[in-house]
Amino acid sequence: MAASAAAYSTRRSRVQGAGLERALPYLLLAPALLLILAVVVYPLIYGVQQSFLNFRFGHAVGNVGLDNYRQLWSDPAFTQALWVTLKFVTLAVALETIFGLGLALLVASEVPFAKGARLIFIVPMIVTPIVVGIVFRLIYASDVGLLTTLRTDIFGSGQVFILDKGWSAFLGLVALDVWEWTPLMFLILLAGIQSLPVEPFEAARVDGAGSWRVFLDHTLPMLSPILAVAIALRTIDAFTTFDQVFVLTKGGPGTSTQLISIYGYNTAFKFDEFGYGTAMLLTVALMVLAFAAITVRLIRRQATA
Amino acid sequence: MTSRDERPPTGETDGLVQRPLTRKKFVATAVGAALATTPLVQKTARAAGYRTAATARAAKGKVVIGAFVDGGLVPFKDKIIPLFEQDTGIKIEFLQDDYSTFFEKAFQDGLTKAGQFDVYIMDDPWIPQYASAPVLQNLSKLGIQADPDFMTPFLELGYWPPRKGPRLPQFRSATPQLYALPFVGDMQSLTYRKDAFGAAPKTWNSLVSTAKAKMHPPQSYGYVFRGVKGNPIAASWFPVFRSQGGKIFDNNWKVLWNNAAGKRATEFFVHTLKSLAPPGVVEYDSDQEGAAILGGKALSIVQYSGNAIKSDDPKQSKEVGKLAFGTVPRGPGGSIAQIGIFISGISVSAPNQSNAVAFQKWFVTKKAQIALARAGSLPVKRSAFLDPVASKHNRLQKTILAQLIAGAEARPRTPDWSKVEDILGTALNEALSAGTVGNNLDSAASQVTSYLKKNGYYK
Repeated sequence: MAASAAAYSTRRSRVQGAGLERALPYLLLAPALLLILAVVVYPLIYGVQQSFLNFRFGHAVGNVGLDNYRQLWSDPAFTQALWVTLKFVTLAVALETIFGLGLALLVASEVPFAKGARLIFIVPMIVTPIVVGIVFRLIYASDVGLLTTLRTDIFGSGQVFILDKGWSAFLGLVALDVWEWTPLMFLILLAGIQSLPVEPFEAARVDGAGSWRVFLDHTLPMLSPILAVAIALRTIDAFTTFDQVFVLTKGGPGTSTQLISIYGYNTAFKFDEFGYGTAMLLTVALMVLAFAAITVRLIRRQATA
Repeated sequence: MTSRDERPPTGETDGLVQRPLTRKKFVATAVGAALATTPLVQKTARAAGYRTAATARAAKGKVVIGAFVDGGLVPFKDKIIPLFEQDTGIKIEFLQDDYSTFFEKAFQDGLTKAGQFDVYIMDDPWIPQYASAPVLQNLSKLGIQADPDFMTPFLELGYWPPRKGPRLPQFRSATPQLYALPFVGDMQSLTYRKDAFGAAPKTWNSLVSTAKAKMHPPQSYGYVFRGVKGNPIAASWFPVFRSQGGKIFDNNWKVLWNNAAGKRATEFFVHTLKSLAPPGVVEYDSDQEGAAILGGKALSIVQYSGNAIKSDDPKQSKEVGKLAFGTVPRGPGGSIAQIGIFISGISVSAPNQSNAVAFQKWFVTKKAQIALARAGSLPVKRSAFLDPVASKHNRLQKTILAQLIAGAEARPRTPDWSKVEDILGTALNEALSAGTVGNNLDSAASQVTSYLKKNGYYK
């Protein structure tokens, strides 16, 4: 009798608490949700609102609808910056993928010193981007830079000019990015290679396939979803490159290294055109988002196939 | 299999303790926690209150001054700040950033009323943008008046809208107000090697011919300047361009830099002067051009005082005793230097406003200005410029006075100067890289014209 009374009491209290129990997950999530609303959703909505406004003398002076977005495509500085960014992202990410994959294959094949090399390879990635920019400025400087000093030491004289011509400054910037971010590709791809099943590789070896054939027929196809994720991540990140360019070239000579991030920043904060600058950066964000969505879809399709 | 109802009341499963939570328990726990934390909250609030009060007391005794990093402010930092603190008992918190970072930071500080600074020390072309927003306070309303002892060309730069020259349509009928006071009377002048030139070259032609004859590449080059896009190259180009007869705008903001005289003047800069400069000058900024003249790699330069005043300092110059100063060489347009004074104003969100006013008033007293001049800087008042002790110690002062008489001009007074300078500075950088004007000036003129048109300068 006493036992059934206790069970009844327990059941009753559970019924009373059922509403609370349902609400509890939401209550526990609430702080995080509020934080996301405050630091992600609100600024995003605010940014979209600002992109419809025209600013003059530091203040919004009128709603211009989609004019800021339309104006982008007739602004030669924007289209030029977009073109430079696309060239930069394509070249840098392609080289980082090739070098990252090469290094990952090398380390995964357990060559001597692989463990030590793994540590050394990731060092560039952990250096602050602005410091990387300063260091490369000291390397590239034509008067007292490291390259000039090396050339003088080896050949007796002669300066190395990287930053005084558009094409060489652009390649210098790509080289900086490749040095800094190849380690990220290396780490992701190394993890991918190490997670691949060993049986197909053993079977291929038994069938007499050479290393190149094994790489083309097994490693690359099996690694492609991871490769796609790595390329997508790095591409998104490369679109936002800023610090290194700001320190190294400020976008010059001319507009040869003026990425969209630099032009957008100058427009918003230097030229006091917050609305136009926001429209510019949102447009680029949408482009990157579209790229990411396409990549994810391709990966899913490949996984399903 | 164990269903939910069959779980023991204290329910310990998989190492996790799970107890059914009832509303009563939740409320009881919450109230208990609230009661327990109340004293803690009260104590924290009281401590915060103490801190606020303490901060307020401390704030009474300080003024926060923001500025960009520049050699021209070193005498102020080293000698004048201690003097002000000693005279007034008010402590100065002096915060510096690089040029472009401080430009943006200070403007945002004023716009958002963040109250990070009391006083901004600015470059004079910032005034139109800062005063039109406005992020600066009208100094007349704070009881600060300009007196006749100020050097007139410097004082004019603190007014918005400008008292002379073209105005923006939106400010055509507005009464000029004083928003900032000149701080350091900085402007360009010629620095040259006495052993190469003997005396200051009077004309650009004589500078070029002597430089060509005396330079010995790669050990030494005839002339050096800044080639980096934007503000650096625009500042180096300005005195050459104006002296050679070029003009930036007419009185109605029509772009003139790409007319025949402008192209000729710019060609002289990107071709003739480039041929005298170290290779790689396209990537030179102030640090490289400074190192070139102070390190003996260049024979002449038109530069601001921040670097010029290092000429006699053995810690910073290898050419002590060899460098002399002169006015900008004369060309078809005269001898015209760029005025680029440091200028200070009080933020609209100054947290220590009365101290900021006290600082502004003190800084332009005769005593402070003479101390500034004697510390090796360039004052903004006539009386300090004429101080015999300062003139003896600071030989640059005489040159600056001579340059003011020969010709000196500030950059156009428009809040859109940053944009104009960026477009123009990019075109100049491209022209310098190519070694010829090409169509770069026309392209920059067309971009600036459409930008100004869009912003209502003209139809």
